[in-house]
Amino acid sequence: MTAATLNRSEKAAAAERRRRRVPYLLLLPGGLWLIFFYILPMLQLAGTSLKDGSFAGGYHFSWEISNYGAGFTEFSSQFVRSITYAGLATLITFAIAYPLAYFIAFRGGRYKNLLLVLVIMPFLFPFLLRTLAWKIILADDGFVVDSLKAIGLVSHNGRVLATGTAVVAGIAYNFLPFMTLPLYVSLEKIDHSMVEAASDLYANPRTAFRRVTFPLSMPGVVAGTLLTLIPAAGDYVNAQLLGTPQQSMIGNVIQSRFLLVLDYPVAAALSFTLMLAILAMIIPYIRFTGTEDLVA
Amino acid sequence: MITRSAEAGLAAVTGEPSAVELVGVTKRFGDTLAVDSIDLAVDENRFFALLGPSGCGKTTTLRMIGGFEEPTEGTIRLHGEDVTGRKPYERPVNTVFQSYALFPHLSIFENVAFGLRRKKVGDDDVKRRVGQTLELVQLTGMEKRRPSQLSGGQQQRIALARALINHPRVLLLDEPLGALDLKLRKEMQIELKRIQHEVGITFVHVTHDQEEAMTMADSIAVMNEGHIERIGSPHEIYEDPQSAFVAAFLGSSNMADAVVVDASSGEVSMGGCRVHVGPGRLPSGVSSVRIGVRPEKLAVHHPGEATDANTLTGTVTDVSFIGVSTQYLIQTDLGTSMAAVQQNTGAPGFVPGERVTLSWAPEHTFVVR
Repeated sequence: MTAATLNRSEKAAAAERRRRRVPYLLLLPGGLWLIFFYILPMLQLAGTSLKDGSFAGGYHFSWEISNYGAGFTEFSSQFVRSITYAGLATLITFAIAYPLAYFIAFRGGRYKNLLLVLVIMPFLFPFLLRTLAWKIILADDGFVVDSLKAIGLVSHNGRVLATGTAVVAGIAYNFLPFMTLPLYVSLEKIDHSMVEAASDLYANPRTAFRRVTFPLSMPGVVAGTLLTLIPAAGDYVNAQLLGTPQQSMIGNVIQSRFLLVLDYPVAAALSFTLMLAILAMIIPYIRFTGTEDLVA
Repeated sequence: MITRSAEAGLAAVTGEPSAVELVGVTKRFGDTLAVDSIDLAVDENRFFALLGPSGCGKTTTLRMIGGFEEPTEGTIRLHGEDVTGRKPYERPVNTVFQSYALFPHLSIFENVAFGLRRKKVGDDDVKRRVGQTLELVQLTGMEKRRPSQLSGGQQQRIALARALINHPRVLLLDEPLGALDLKLRKEMQIELKRIQHEVGITFVHVTHDQEEAMTMADSIAVMNEGHIERIGSPHEIYEDPQSAFVAAFLGSSNMADAVVVDASSGEVSMGGCRVHVGPGRLPSGVSSVRIGVRPEKLAVHHPGEATDANTLTGTVTDVSFIGVSTQYLIQTDLGTSMAAVQQNTGAPGFVPGERVTLSWAPEHTFVVR
């Protein structure tokens, strides 16, 4: 009896061990991908950011912390501009996307899917092409500038292209779907009886929105703003095509350091500085908005 | 119309307006007629049930009282005050939703306090009243939790507390027990009745479960296809359903067509067999009626031993013993099949093929439209 029982319990234990291994096996492809294409390049980039030397003479690892100083001295204005433009663009995108997502989620009816396709439609055209199209839209003799002149928002010989406004508008336009989709998903999930319950408990439509609908859409707000703010802060295409060197963002600096000046260490150091700056901004943001409560 | 005025009668005598009064209320959704010109009056402090199958318009009726739907036609009054066209947040009623609709981002305390907060009640008062209400639903100590941390039954009580704390003039309950399992549902039925007694608020309860309505309600309105079939106490509507739909929806019945022989004495003829119906139940000026009798009102006897006034003879075709009672199917000599339920009193039963006499009292015979 004991031998048989032992044998059986051994088998059960082996099955249990196999069962516990399954989640790790499922994680393996993604994990390997992250290690080879995310963590290793990051470490390499971190190493590069601490190198010394020149492109001609070769770069050597030497704990060259001074590379990081460039971000705060030489390129501080581009840093500030990046954060400002990205922040403004995020606010504009949010202001446009929230009502849009709200309408599609609550009033879209049977046109919901069609409206969502329309939101994603710009993605069918390449990013560069879309931004170039904005160059034409905002051109000095284009109808947008003419109309803005007519209502007096732009002075007689003023222009929109090659200004900060154009860059912010371009970013806001390009990232609109990234904001709209998460907002839509979180709004669409809200059970309409929640809003009815608020109304039943003496909340007028405004209070019901403020106390119930908006708080319940917070996961979408956080996801949408992060999906817009983070890539927008590192964007350089909009500044390059719709602005001038006076509108250049930190992304433009990194791009030119990498590809034109071939100053890899400073480019790497700037990339890390940008990443840390963004982390420093979003961690308190996520804490403050308290979305962890809603995920549970 | 007759039932409505009978229902409204008491309030009319005392001069107090009904807690809820619907006059000619109709609701159309596009081409669909959801509620068809209903009249209804619910007295103060009643536990009132709107009972009917799904799609009968009971939930739409409740939602119109709550203000979530506007009637296409008709008037809704709460304590004599016309509230038709008023938004839910402007009505002195509160609702317990079928899905509970607790706010997941708020604590239990803030969920229960939501209505008071909107009414700008002071912090000390809010705290005291939330405490009292949680005590009423027996969930003291849950203030800091989130709705997702409570069981279904607890969420149900919180939904109730969140509505009751506002001292509504009328509490509306939309199938509140539908999501609970049978045991919990039975407990909550008793619990809801206790709470209604304690707070003395008019409850209007929507349900498709006839047993639930019978257990809890003082008065029931049975709805079907957008109109009210019958209003009355559970006892009244069970014993005298007055409509074929109500007779079938509430329990089971044996139904048969009959010809009126003598309206004044309540004598009718079922295929040549004379039986009597309850006094005053035969409508005047009608020559043929449909009559019914509940299976548990039929007594099964050996031929010739019948005691009641109405008798039929037949043959037992099926016997099912379910412990507390035995159910017989009897093929009568008129060619109809009748069901009879006999209490298990220990007496020997009948077997299939046996000749029997069915008997029942005239007052247990009802007439339906």
